[in-house]
Amino acid sequence: MSGEQLITLLIFLPAVVALGGLVLKGAAAQRVVFVPAMVALMVAAAALALQVLPREALTFTPPVGWENVVAVLKYALIAYFLYVGITARNGLVLGLAGFLAVLLPVVQFGVLGGHVAVEPVFYADVLAVIMCLVISVVGGLIVVYATDYMPAHEAHFKLAEPVRTRQPQFFFWFVLFLGAMNGLVLANSLPWLFFFWEVTTLCCYQLIRHDLTDEARGNALRALWMNLIGSVAMVVGIGLAYNSAGTLSIQDLISGGSAPLVLLPLALFCLTGFTKAAQVPFQSWLLGAMVAPTPVSALLHSSTMVKAGVYLVLRLAPGYADTSLSLLVALFGAFVFMVTSLLAIGQSISKRVLAYSTIASLGLIVCCAGINTELALAAGIALIIFHAVSKGMLFMAVGVVEQQIGSRDIEDMDGLVARMPLLTVAAVIGMLSMLFLPFGVAFAKWAAIGAAGALAGGYIAVVAFLAIGSAAALVFWSKWLGRMLGEVPVVADEKKPVSAYGSVLLLVVGAVGLSIFVAPLVAALIQPALSTMGYSQAFDVSGWHLRTAIGVFPPWALFLAVTAAVLLPALFARGYRGDLDPVYLCGVNVNGGSVQFTGMAGKPVLVTAGGAYWKQWFGESRLTPASNWIAVLLLVALFAGVVLR
Amino acid sequence: MGFLARARVKSPWILHYCTGGCNGCDIEILACLTPLYDVERFGILNIGNPKHADILMITGPVNWRSRHVLRNLYEQTPDPKVVIAIGVCAATGGVFHNCYNVLGGVDKVVPVDVYVRGCAARPEAIIDGVVMALQKLEAKKSGGVSYAAGAR
Amino acid sequence: MTWPIIVAVAAVLLAPLVGGLLRGLDRKITARLQGRIGPPVVQPFYDFGKLVGKSRVVSSKASMAWAWSYFLLTLTAFTLFFMGQDLLVVFLILAFAGGSLAFGALSARSPYARFGANRELLQILACEPILLLAAVAVYFQTGKFTVCSILEANQPLLPYLPLVFVAVLIVLGIKMRKSPFDIAASEHAHQELVRGVYTEYSGRFLALMELTHWYKIVLLLAFIALFWAQPLWVGVLIALGAYFLELWLDNIAARLRWSWMLGVSWSLGVGFVVVNLVLLSVVV
Ligand code: SF4
Repeated sequence: MSGEQLITLLIFLPAVVALGGLVLKGAAAQRVVFVPAMVALMVAAAALALQVLPREALTFTPPVGWENVVAVLKYALIAYFLYVGITARNGLVLGLAGFLAVLLPVVQFGVLGGHVAVEPVFYADVLAVIMCLVISVVGGLIVVYATDYMPAHEAHFKLAEPVRTRQPQFFFWFVLFLGAMNGLVLANSLPWLFFFWEVTTLCCYQLIRHDLTDEARGNALRALWMNLIGSVAMVVGIGLAYNSAGTLSIQDLISGGSAPLVLLPLALFCLTGFTKAAQVPFQSWLLGAMVAPTPVSALLHSSTMVKAGVYLVLRLAPGYADTSLSLLVALFGAFVFMVTSLLAIGQSISKRVLAYSTIASLGLIVCCAGINTELALAAGIALIIFHAVSKGMLFMAVGVVEQQIGSRDIEDMDGLVARMPLLTVAAVIGMLSMLFLPFGVAFAKWAAIGAAGALAGGYIAVVAFLAIGSAAALVFWSKWLGRMLGEVPVVADEKKPVSAYGSVLLLVVGAVGLSIFVAPLVAALIQPALSTMGYSQAFDVSGWHLRTAIGVFPPWALFLAVTAAVLLPALFARGYRGDLDPVYLCGVNVNGGSVQFTGMAGKPVLVTAGGAYWKQWFGESRLTPASNWIAVLLLVALFAGVVLR
Repeated sequence: MGFLARARVKSPWILHYCTGGCNGCDIEILACLTPLYDVERFGILNIGNPKHADILMITGPVNWRSRHVLRNLYEQTPDPKVVIAIGVCAATGGVFHNCYNVLGGVDKVVPVDVYVRGCAARPEAIIDGVVMALQKLEAKKSGGVSYAAGAR
Repeated sequence: MTWPIIVAVAAVLLAPLVGGLLRGLDRKITARLQGRIGPPVVQPFYDFGKLVGKSRVVSSKASMAWAWSYFLLTLTAFTLFFMGQDLLVVFLILAFAGGSLAFGALSARSPYARFGANRELLQILACEPILLLAAVAVYFQTGKFTVCSILEANQPLLPYLPLVFVAVLIVLGIKMRKSPFDIAASEHAHQELVRGVYTEYSGRFLALMELTHWYKIVLLLAFIALFWAQPLWVGVLIALGAYFLELWLDNIAARLRWSWMLGVSWSLGVGFVVVNLVLLSVVV
């Protein structure tokens, strides 16, 4: 198939399948349709990659008629948001959607003077292809996972009242999301980008409110209005961009040099990206999004939605290289990385920890875009890939755990390894892949710290933030990981739904495999992506070591060492057949497997040691207000720096 | 003497537990750590965890409640280990003899290797007891010697 | 290529000797400072041998596994360091090792071990930023993140990085588990929630912990020695001086709360490094 066809397929296939999903009832029927469709989507993304890689980029401009369709749909979307604002009596949604309804025609007819042709509408370079692969592969696996999750979810949720199933709607928005994301990352025309952007906002809104509880509705509205702020910024940015640079093509905009007048729209687009990526002070919508069924969280956090935000910031990076905007983006991202990592230490709800960790990782990607050297951008792109794989997997694992033990609290996951050995080991590997070195995420951290350290000046603060943040990340992951590994005398009782477990395990294999083969990955995808974006090569990958001008990271050698260090003892311990002695309790242990001592009047007392959360330091009430204000100040500084230049 | 065997007697770590005496002996045990007696000269350390201990130093006549704890501590101490009963009340009940609430001696609960007399036992005597205990420890090697009087 | 391997192998073989002797000196000197005679200098080796000979007592299989991981990962970081590799990589692997220690303690369902593990994590939280920033400081001076680059540089680091040096001393104190920072697993004379992270380890596993500790101390002291690598013997003297400074501090300081430790290491430690870097980039 030609590149044009593939691009069309990547956008339309999910949309068509989504429509088909509306009529599907039952897990079996869903699986029959969705699994082949998702495989087709993955194949299409891979095929596009194969077409794009040998050359710079593929371009595609659909016939002019489509412009009108998109324009009409755009207004329809905004009309729907207005409707939501009115029916939900939500002033913020109403106000922002109303403002957008006025602003959009003003910009379109006042500033742009009607229709502006953009050549090309779609621009598939290696970065876009990487995003497509992440969206299709990780997103596709999450769809497969959802076919197992949703029936159980509904069974659990609607115990009392047998209402009509809402699964068709769920899968409709869910699969449509993938198409919108593919369109978003492939779009080069700003109006088209805006359209796809709004579709993702709509999908996100619908998916968060899926359960229709009051909390779900409220959080969905919050997600909506926060994302509408980004939309307003984007529309203003589009107007300004056309006014100052006379173009609506992203490629033209970022290659046109960093004239101060172009910087302002770029800064606005970055703000749009921050809202979508739930950066502080907009983090609350993503935290609230965890009321949705777990596949939604998995999707939002790994391959869609928030990744759109960082993708935009990363995409625009060449446009603001070597400016104060770049430094402030880096500072902002690093600050978000630090503060959300610290906040995660104080959380005991597993999904909330994951959410904060997502925001932190996104902050790190934003920071990489801001550091804006080839090494940093390589780190940013690597992080997008590795984070999507690991985080998608972790959310899916937590979802399974929640369905099987009935809790999402880390305190209840004590000794989970005894209850659900397979899944826990998978989750532990996923966590290790999020925080320790030979794995991809930590590799990206290594590169980011190196890249920021290589630039003096204001980047010293960036390094300091990154250093504290990565230590904090280590603490919150480790606390959780350790809890799950405790020795508890329970019988393993693990149900293993095929689709759910299959998706989780495939992603675990992906996380480990990609980390081991990070050097070929860098050589095959990331370096070409950088060179099409106009950066030089960051790494010398000879011998599959990742050598930079300033340091060296030997992935496979480290993997050999670390695997030997972790796997061999684990195998050795598994084979241990000797007795296990009771722990020391400063008293008389009660015989038997449980951890009890004899207390007053000979009564057994169960010993429990909860997790440490150090709320007085890392609690939300302690950190959130201050960090919100600092983030706002940084954003103000970011715009002041651009405007006053 | 091989290094490991030599190390065994060169590094006795002590767990000290009072089963209900008057605390006189306990104070004398702690006096051993002071600069005047300085038992660390012999590598002796006072530690708070039976899992790390080699020598259990038990004082007091063993009352009914503490006997379980004593038993538990003894079981949690890895072999090879020795038990020293410090003070006459740890040996026979001493001044608590025939009290309604005491068993009257550590060896009613766990096997004792060395008895240190005195009420309270003097630090010199305690150190002497440790030295004797070390000789027994050496003989035991990883619990190879069976206990003569294992009165429970 | 062969030299780094020879150096690393030699270091791996010699480090237990050096580490053990240093710990022996530590105990001797501490005793002297307290007016005692103290154990023989080779006492740590006796302790090690004794522990190896004890019977096995295990309370959790996972703890066993993580104990070995702790040792092997530390050894990995140690080897990488002496092969002249990337400092950031070394410190990140060292963090993995520290994490393994905490995982091991968390795996045993002992409340004391868990408290110790959580505090161990706090110690990592206090140390890690300083170490990473110190690596960046090294880059500022040498233009590379590798250990080799320090040895190849033509002037010592210390005159340019004095504040970084002070910050690294804080890390040394924390990693040596010395007062005022001994909150996760205290040294013999002090007792911290039984024995903190080490509570559930006994016999050969405790010996393994001790051995790992030696490697860690030698690694950190070697890093400190690099602050004056031209010629290296000056650096070694400085490292020894730093070691004895910690011993002295240990004997005059009380143990303080974890919040105090975090406060000090983040404000003074991170602050010192940042100030040093800023000064460096302003002046040079
Ligand atoms: S032997 Fe005497 S001094 Fe020692 S504990 Fe018993 S009563 Fe007290």
